Amino acid sequence: MTMADASTKRVPQDQPGDSSANGTGSLEELRHLILAPEQEALERLHHRVANPRARTEDVSSVVAEAIQLRREQGGSDALSEALAPTIETAVRESVRKDPSTLADALFPVMGPAIRRSILETLRSFLDSFNQIMDQSLSVQGLKWRLEALRTGRTFTEVVLLHSLVFRVEQVFLIHKKTGLSLGHAVAPSVAMQDPSLVSGMLSAIQDFVRDSFHSGPGEGIERLNVGDLDVWVEAGPYAILACVIRGIAPRALRDTMAEVLESIHREHSVHLDRFTGDTAPFSAVNQQLSRCLEYKYKEGANHKGYGYAWAAAGLLLLLVGGILGWRWWQYQRWNNLVDTLREQPGLVITSFGREHGRFSIRGLRDPLAPDPRQFVTQAGLDPAKSEFHWGAYYALDDAILQQRATQLLAPPQDVTLNVKDGILHLAGQPSAAWLKDLGTRALLVPGLRSVDFGRFTPEQMAFEQAKSEVQGVIVKFPVGTAALSSAERSNLRNLIPRLTSLQNSAAALHQNLRVEVVGHSDVTGAEGTNQSLSQRRADRVAWELIQLGIPDDVLHARGVASAEPVRSDDTEENRQFNRSATFFVSSSPSPQP
Amino acid sequence: MIQKKICMLGSFAVGKTSLIRRFVESIYSEAYHTTVGVKIDKRVVRYNDSDVTLVLWDLYGEDEFQKMRWSYLRGAAGYLLVADGTRCNTLEKAFQLEQRIREEFGEIPFILVINKADLVQDWELDPAMESQLTARNWTILRSSAKTGENVDEAFLQLTRKMLP
Repeated sequence: MTMADASTKRVPQDQPGDSSANGTGSLEELRHLILAPEQEALERLHHRVANPRARTEDVSSVVAEAIQLRREQGGSDALSEALAPTIETAVRESVRKDPSTLADALFPVMGPAIRRSILETLRSFLDSFNQIMDQSLSVQGLKWRLEALRTGRTFTEVVLLHSLVFRVEQVFLIHKKTGLSLGHAVAPSVAMQDPSLVSGMLSAIQDFVRDSFHSGPGEGIERLNVGDLDVWVEAGPYAILACVIRGIAPRALRDTMAEVLESIHREHSVHLDRFTGDTAPFSAVNQQLSRCLEYKYKEGANHKGYGYAWAAAGLLLLLVGGILGWRWWQYQRWNNLVDTLREQPGLVITSFGREHGRFSIRGLRDPLAPDPRQFVTQAGLDPAKSEFHWGAYYALDDAILQQRATQLLAPPQDVTLNVKDGILHLAGQPSAAWLKDLGTRALLVPGLRSVDFGRFTPEQMAFEQAKSEVQGVIVKFPVGTAALSSAERSNLRNLIPRLTSLQNSAAALHQNLRVEVVGHSDVTGAEGTNQSLSQRRADRVAWELIQLGIPDDVLHARGVASAEPVRSDDTEENRQFNRSATFFVSSSPSPQP
Repeated sequence: MIQKKICMLGSFAVGKTSLIRRFVESIYSEAYHTTVGVKIDKRVVRYNDSDVTLVLWDLYGEDEFQKMRWSYLRGAAGYLLVADGTRCNTLEKAFQLEQRIREEFGEIPFILVINKADLVQDWELDPAMESQLTARNWTILRSSAKTGENVDEAFLQLTRKMLP
């Protein structure tokens, strides 16, 4: 600027010189000789200064060095602040034109930045969680909880307040002359007051104090103390910075406040000077004010490690594990129940699992199958938590078949039915009447394949019947003789149809029939006589039967004297029974033709 | 956002506080009047499609016992001069206040509000005073804090005077 001023002063001086050149030519020449080089140099300089293009070239050649020099001189803050608005505008413009350019440039740093941010957030969450856990589980924590209840604050807030050394809760930037609010920053979760009212009142109090104590215009309150709140005031030429602090702040906060206030003054000096109420130029000021929102926690409050957090996480894991384990155990018990049910005859499990919080089992059930609920109770499970869906069916299990057959065939009391592989077996003493059409009736029992009559076939039954009838016959003789009375002979004649039937049954059963005719005598008389007498009695009966048409190979006569008495030989009547012949029927399998 | 500092001035008990009580946002108790001599309130008015925040400095009324703190007027963009229609001397006081402000701070936009319009039958305004008022060519509004008459209007007119 000084150069330009000099040249503009010189040039007009030269011009009147030119106009008076007509008179004294030699003087002009002399002047020219002496001053020409300097004048030309000045002309060149003037041209250089007046020409914007030349000036631009000049500046461009040193601009980088100038910036570097300024940085080395240590004024980088001012340089940054001066350049910031231009750079911000340039960036905004670049994004507006083509967002991808900046996005591409930022891409390599975005990932790490985001990761770091997430990590920080997590860490701070863990910190505060740990702290709150720490406080929650102590006597002090209990007191603070009571305090929270009493004061209506949240527990987190109370914990924070007690763990804080200090915290700047609010920052106000106040225009000094008007007392109007220029900016306001507030810490998270702090109840804020209307900045314009607080700003007004703060400057009113400043004025009040200044007036009351007749202090100078540059002096004022630097600090206000209200309960556990401190208000620090830092005054600049145009604006006042006020920080509302909870706790005891370090001296260094003053320096921060001063720096912020200076920086605001440097950037906005013109706006501050001419401020008439329009706060638009100060829109970015809040960010600078946030620098003052400092805070510090009590030593150790954050350095206890993550014990409680880990303990809580462990507890949670244990709880989840416990629940899962218990559920697994329950499930196992239900599985065991299903296994037990599967073993039951007449039950078929098709599917099972949890449905609407209850254990549900689906399948088929024979009406005769055991009640599944009894197994639920036996397994120690809650029947109310179980649900059964059964379809009806006829089971073919032997046990069920046996029950079904018993139910449908109604055997007499002394007969038991057994089913094996679908075949009905009989045991006991079935009556011929019951056995009569058993074969047909058994086919009506669902699932029953056939009946194994065993020894209860009609042929066998007829054989048995005839056998018992034959064996029940006693042919009596008078004392000491083997002669048959006419009555006894007629008895023997009556025996013939039964013997014939016995013969037929044996043939049908492929048995060789053997009918022993056993001769008896009473004990009276000599043993030798009795032996021959009993033999003769047997022979006599056998001969009589042969005469009546019974084949002699079937009949075998033998005398046993009194060795196998029919009755005990104590009375005359009983002795009469012992003077007799009886029959013993046996059979043996005949070789198959 | 536009903010303006406005002062409320007038004699003791002319109804300044009542005038604004129902129309402002306030966080401070009226005890500040007697201690600090001023109470700060806020009112947002709509003007030319934008919000204007009026920060109201309600100054404690001046009387023979208490002097008003003039430093509170520093930086004010305008003021409401309040008088009581039923007490003529409050109007004279208003004239004095206006003169004093003009001397100390230069021309500042203001409006004279003659309060207690609801008691107009008790007004003491004599013809001489009326002519004095007319001669001054001021913006004058008759208001009533009781009925709310012209209270909004007073703030709006003052805003209009302060903003171009």
